[in-house]
Amino acid sequence: MRSPSPARYGPPSRWRVLPERGTVSIFELGLFAVALTMIAVDLPQTLQDVIIQTFLWAGLALAWNIAGGYAGMISFGHAAFFGLGAYTSTILSVHYGITPWVGMWAGALLAAGFGGALAMICARLRGPFFILSTLAAAEVIRMGALNWASLTGGAEGLSILPVVDATNMVFASKTAYAVLLLIYFVAVYVLTKLLEGSRYGLYLFAARDDEDAAGAAGINLLLARTSALCLSAFLTAIGGSLFAQYFQFLDPTHVLSPELSFQFALLPALGGIGTAIGPVLGAIILVPLSELLRGYLGSAAAGLHMAIYGGVLIVVMLYFPAGLAGALARLAVCRRKGTP
Amino acid sequence: MTVLLEVKDAVRAFGPLRAVAGVSFSVQRGELVGLIGPNGAGKSTLYNLIAGAIRPTSGQIWFNGRSVGGWQPFRAARAGIGRTFQIPKPYRHLTVIENVAVSALSHERTVSAARRYCEAILEDVGLADCAEAPVSILTAGLLKRLEVARVLALRPSLILFDEIMAGLTSTEVRGMTELVAALPARGFTVIWVEHVLYAIMKAAPRIMVLHRGQLICDGSPEQVAKDPAVIKAYLGEEMNLA
Repeated sequence: MRSPSPARYGPPSRWRVLPERGTVSIFELGLFAVALTMIAVDLPQTLQDVIIQTFLWAGLALAWNIAGGYAGMISFGHAAFFGLGAYTSTILSVHYGITPWVGMWAGALLAAGFGGALAMICARLRGPFFILSTLAAAEVIRMGALNWASLTGGAEGLSILPVVDATNMVFASKTAYAVLLLIYFVAVYVLTKLLEGSRYGLYLFAARDDEDAAGAAGINLLLARTSALCLSAFLTAIGGSLFAQYFQFLDPTHVLSPELSFQFALLPALGGIGTAIGPVLGAIILVPLSELLRGYLGSAAAGLHMAIYGGVLIVVMLYFPAGLAGALARLAVCRRKGTP
Repeated sequence: MTVLLEVKDAVRAFGPLRAVAGVSFSVQRGELVGLIGPNGAGKSTLYNLIAGAIRPTSGQIWFNGRSVGGWQPFRAARAGIGRTFQIPKPYRHLTVIENVAVSALSHERTVSAARRYCEAILEDVGLADCAEAPVSILTAGLLKRLEVARVLALRPSLILFDEIMAGLTSTEVRGMTELVAALPARGFTVIWVEHVLYAIMKAAPRIMVLHRGQLICDGSPEQVAKDPAVIKAYLGEEMNLA
């Protein structure tokens, strides 16, 4: 049959300037170079702290995005997975003397199991109902951590002794943590990019975009969704363990609160849900903004930093409904149409 | 010839309404069967029963020697039952070829192999030029073609077409009719629901008519066009097939 479409779209080539699915772009490599430079140069401690937080949140937002963006399971309960990771590695280390290098994998498996169970029960719920179920599940974990004080320290939390020992993942310099969290962030990013171009990735997109059509194409929706939430929970928990080692203290308010869960969804929403670069852009903009605003305005005008933060969010959501990555993607399409 | 699909006394009730009220028929391997009937006759419900989207209230559906009634859609699809949707259901965030490749992944190992497999199919349905375009640029007619491409890419043994001609121009209808008519020779068995009667009456050697959840006629286009019950229920007047 003849095609009536006059515009011809060429296949994607290997190298791109702007990020696109299934290829590596110069933009992404540039960002990576900047990240490396940030670690290499000597910065004041407060700035290093912002950079470390940014790496951590870029990785966490990417992990959330696998479930929320790619599989379409918007979760407001990712603090549960984060907290499970942080608590598991810390409890194993503080109570049983097991190094966090091992403990973080145990936490990740536990979180993946919890995520899988949650998906089996709740993945059939759609839209707001699924969101509410994740929020409730996270509250269950938070209540558990608050009340099982013999294990978790309850509301007083758990402290990790700041004895510098690389085998226990406690480092003297912030640079070491920055390297560790950059590795985490890049690992999750590479995984995300591989997933995007894979058979499994296409199955997730299909299940997200139309479940009837995906079922008719032979896709097991429950399996796709459950595995996506497992993977997302696993990666989130690793981030939780790393955060605990960096912060050297955790309590339910810090690692299990609903506010934390909202942050997981907020960064990708601002940067662009369902893309690899989106959550990263969200983290790069929002984390430093929030940290620096708090640093400079926190004492002078209490609450003002939150107002500015909120204002920026509203502006971005209004003018870039598909996130910053959506704006980049439009640019990329314009560029591609121009070339034969 | 062997029987590929056998529906035995299938019933599906929604509350007091029996949308499919005891339908029995069988389809031989390699057949092209048209299924017509007024709106609300139960055609889509019958498709949903065969493709596993809903469970039958009672009755049996045998496909390739296995009872598939109540199977989940993905199992039915993997067993070889492909279907299109009356209202196209594209994956909004994927390109045209990716939309089709998702189906091809049921038999191809890698995404690149699936994409290669789909190139010929896109050529067949006339979407080759927009292979790398986002589906959002497709018009209603092109979305219908996309539905057809997706089900072909699944490589099922039985295809259930659901109004793939609605909204197409007469040129497009001609092209699509040729495509569908050639499918049995390519090893597909086809059931085809359509309201564009001149197309289906010309292409399908056997027509079934569904009315109020029951088959009221099953025969050649000539028999169907003359059948008083069909004329009363659906055609309105005797149809001139010439």
